[in-house]
Amino acid sequence: MSVTVFTPEFKRRADQICANYPVKRAAALPVMRLIQEEYGAISGKAELEIADYFQIPPADVRELMTFYTLFYSKPKGQCHIQICRTLSCALLGAGELIRYMEEKLGIKAGETTKDGQFSLDKAECLGACEIAPMAQINKEYVGPLTKEKLGKILKQYYLGVRD
Amino acid sequence: MPTLKIDGKEITVDKGTTIIKAAEKLGISIPYYCYHPGLSIAGNCRMCLVDVEKTPKPQISCHIQCQDGMVVHTDTESVKKLRQHVLEFLLVNHPLDCPVCDQAGECWLQDYYMKHGLYDSRLDENKVKKSAKAVPIGPTIMLDSERCILCSRCVRFTDEITKTGEFGIFNRGDHSEIGIYPGRELDNKYSGNVADICPVGALTDRDFRFKCRVWYLKKTESVCPGCSRGCNITIEANQERPQHGRGERVMRLKPRFNDEVNDWWMCDAGRYGYKFIDHDRITEPIQRLDSQVKVVEWDEAVKNLLKSFKEILKKSKDEVAVFLSPQMTNEELYLAKKLFVKELGVEEVHLVRTNIDGDQDDFLIRADKHPNRKGAELIGFEEDERKIKKIIDAGLKGKLKALVLFGQDLVSFYPDRNVEEMLHHLELSVFIGSNHNLTSEHVQFVFPAATYAEKDGTFTNFEGRIQRIRQALIPLGESKTESEILMFLARKLDFDWPYQSQEDIFDGLRRSVSQFQRLNYQKIGKGGIKVS
Amino acid sequence: MEKLISRFFKIPNASSVSVYLEEGGYESARRALKEMKPEQIEAEVKNSNLRGLGGAGFSCGMKWSFVPRNTGKPIYLVVNADEGEPGTFKDKYILTYVPHLLIEGMILTAYAVGIHKAFIYIRGEYEIPYLKLKEAVDEAYGKGFLGENIFGTSFHLDIVIHRGAGAYICGEETGLLESLEGKKGFPRLKPPFPAVVGLFGCPTVINNVETLSYIPFIIKRGSEWFAKLGTEKNGGTRLFSVSGHVEKPGVYELPMGITLREIIYEYAGGIIENRKLKAVVPGGLSAAILTADELDVKMDFDSLKAVGSMGGSGGIIVMDETTSMVEALRVTMQFFAHESCGQCSPCREGTGWIYRILNRIVDGKGRPNDIDNLLDIGKYLGGTTICALADGAQMAFLSYLKKFRSEFETVIPKQNKTYANA
Repeated sequence: MSVTVFTPEFKRRADQICANYPVKRAAALPVMRLIQEEYGAISGKAELEIADYFQIPPADVRELMTFYTLFYSKPKGQCHIQICRTLSCALLGAGELIRYMEEKLGIKAGETTKDGQFSLDKAECLGACEIAPMAQINKEYVGPLTKEKLGKILKQYYLGVRD
Repeated sequence: MPTLKIDGKEITVDKGTTIIKAAEKLGISIPYYCYHPGLSIAGNCRMCLVDVEKTPKPQISCHIQCQDGMVVHTDTESVKKLRQHVLEFLLVNHPLDCPVCDQAGECWLQDYYMKHGLYDSRLDENKVKKSAKAVPIGPTIMLDSERCILCSRCVRFTDEITKTGEFGIFNRGDHSEIGIYPGRELDNKYSGNVADICPVGALTDRDFRFKCRVWYLKKTESVCPGCSRGCNITIEANQERPQHGRGERVMRLKPRFNDEVNDWWMCDAGRYGYKFIDHDRITEPIQRLDSQVKVVEWDEAVKNLLKSFKEILKKSKDEVAVFLSPQMTNEELYLAKKLFVKELGVEEVHLVRTNIDGDQDDFLIRADKHPNRKGAELIGFEEDERKIKKIIDAGLKGKLKALVLFGQDLVSFYPDRNVEEMLHHLELSVFIGSNHNLTSEHVQFVFPAATYAEKDGTFTNFEGRIQRIRQALIPLGESKTESEILMFLARKLDFDWPYQSQEDIFDGLRRSVSQFQRLNYQKIGKGGIKVS
Repeated sequence: MEKLISRFFKIPNASSVSVYLEEGGYESARRALKEMKPEQIEAEVKNSNLRGLGGAGFSCGMKWSFVPRNTGKPIYLVVNADEGEPGTFKDKYILTYVPHLLIEGMILTAYAVGIHKAFIYIRGEYEIPYLKLKEAVDEAYGKGFLGENIFGTSFHLDIVIHRGAGAYICGEETGLLESLEGKKGFPRLKPPFPAVVGLFGCPTVINNVETLSYIPFIIKRGSEWFAKLGTEKNGGTRLFSVSGHVEKPGVYELPMGITLREIIYEYAGGIIENRKLKAVVPGGLSAAILTADELDVKMDFDSLKAVGSMGGSGGIIVMDETTSMVEALRVTMQFFAHESCGQCSPCREGTGWIYRILNRIVDGKGRPNDIDNLLDIGKYLGGTTICALADGAQMAFLSYLKKFRSEFETVIPKQNKTYANA
């Protein structure tokens, strides 16, 4: 992806976010999130642009990219499934669900299907233990899940029923 | 000013002093990795944990400040066990690379294991793999991220000292890795320092890679001659295993701490600029007669030189020039002044550079690439470009009879003037220097001089700090120090000079330079002294 | 048991300012700003015995008192809405169903300490809670409850919502500050504490969402009343998050003095399918587990500390007789190993090492001295690091090994996979 991220328009929006903070760098996470929501991921080129915008070393941006789990260098699939694997969900069968999804999608957790439709990830506690076992599908919290329920959701995404 | 007890010993310190510094003052050494007095406190290695009474858990001595009435224990059984376990944690994912790792012998994991560890390993798992094994991250440094203990010294160094920010710690937990931004290099002028501060073999010097085991190195304190800053250094030479030296004696230079000059650092140009000590050396006296080049013995060479010199001095003393260099030590400049100016009455004795001005920054690097210009000034020699050009022009017109050079490469410095021809038309031309250059190819007499690594003496840096250099090596081949050469000439000219050592010469020198009056080698010591 | 915060969870549209006002919302803040002095508010909060409900259980009022007021630097309020402690989901409910309560608590806090700028650090994964919170903040500005001249007084307060990016360690106070400043969430060395040197080097008050949400009640009905609801040194009620093998997982607001048994059996419907209880996590994943015969403990911070565990975040995870404790510990240590920031040697290497040993044990490849080794390694995991992640990991870890040692021993060296790796 060699698209320029910091177009004058985008820079304006980033500047607006920066205005909330007495130190510009504090806006790094919100600005990076904005880039990711617009472009699906933060490319290498975008990293350098971010470094330049905030006047910080590129290594610092790379640190943020690799430290935080919500920043991606490559876009996720149309349907991003993150299944929680921490204690409450594990007690209620998260392990089996993860294996079921890996089988059904033909990929391992951490990967994306070849057609770019589905990405599967394991997540740590998402703060929704009352609906365990649960997953975050794109932005939505879904649970309690069974294999059937998950299968149904996949079908809906695959058929384009949900957006 | 809080008073506290460490291991039963009482001490009063300035407010704000950390426990580790207070302990140091008491001669108690607490082990550490991430702590470095020249960098910010990271407090992540946990190796310096000590027991402080009335606190709920052990405290890191690098960060906690001394309080009045504090009672600290650094060597109880519980502290010792704690250290052992911290060490064990650090070694969990550390590769067993000692046999192939350059750090062996000066590795803090090895050293602390022998001092604080000595436990049997109970690790039965696979170690975490990191991504960079023996990867060059720039022209000077090799990275091995498996060996890294994540002390973050290198990150803090590039953030705080060079302010270039190349290093980062990527990922988190035990997948954390030191690295450079992909596609970039560690490419600042002080990059070599990261290998110094890395306590393990994660960052190693590419120039030194696999050259010599450190326990064979003989270390001598000296001063870098690369510029007028005069960073304090250690010359580390291999003399026990010459067969491993690939023909070189000096294996590496390392900075030596001096909080008045260079702190803990030195620049890359100085650090890697030692090759000339063992390469391209002039090792024997040479005499050129017409087109014949002959290697001669010192005695004969000096005899022939003085015969010619004495005649020229009798008839046309005003057509003799001597070019001294700001690379010479104070002692050598003093002797040269004594010989040429006082005893022989030569008028045109000038200070002439051997190096062109170079880069300068707001840290250590100075544009003047000579170690002793200030010393030369104090002794009475200043560079006058106009006068030098006049002399060269006189030579071109045939109005110069004799020229003595101390290493200057006039051919390269004055490409717009036909210096080669000038040299060929002189009645007497002498080059005294350590390495070949374009000029030494065109003079009658070439005398091999020793390098700074092969002599004792003093330099005065740009701030007026006089510092000692010490002899690390024996002059290569037939080379002699400039002092020896000048004393040799003096002797052959029947001057009675009473000097038995460099120290004697310095004693003579200080009487004639008011700023050096009260000094001697003891006083100058290891850190030097600033003169007004 | 009177419901304070959780009453709003059942009121339709309580997240909107109009409904919140109907229910008596913003009364405390309005009265305080017009009639009370900042010191009075601080005194009330102190006397109420309100303690930090994010996990540390430190006296809220006392924490405020550490903030120096005359440094010349601005004082910041930071709300910890990172809610990362596994088993905890109560802040999500406040943010989703009654965000104005939090805002009102923030106004009172800011007024008490002299703060005019606040940041709410909300975990990046929360989407609906964020949207609801944002809506509420916008509404509050619209009504003149935020910004300049709040309630027509000279007091002003700005709130910025800051979304996290996926790191449990950013729920640690100083890790949060680092993240808010645009860096990795590396916890800072203490001292200095955030009250003195916090956000951008300025004195900072950091409080959990729920803690701040109780303050309007304290101001409305008095510190004495609030203190009496709880135990001797731990006032009020708290929102317990109950999950795991219970019939009715969810958020339950109960007084501090309630027992664990009551929470599980009288409110959360007991164990699913009437099975037997095997172990309980009483206060978030970092708390020592309790066994079936320890259920009569009161759930306030002091009582739980006295039995060797902690009140923590109030996250209760119930494990029944079908649970493999070895697997439960493996999942627990996997979490800590994955979330360790990696600064300190014991935590970085120790959590990963312990996790790999547990993996090997679960895979049936355990060795006879594994347990003793684990106990020795675990001993040095805690009390030796910059922050308390390793302390929490240690507390949980040692409690499993102590209370269920025989189960671990049974798994070694036979092949004994219970439920497979999550």
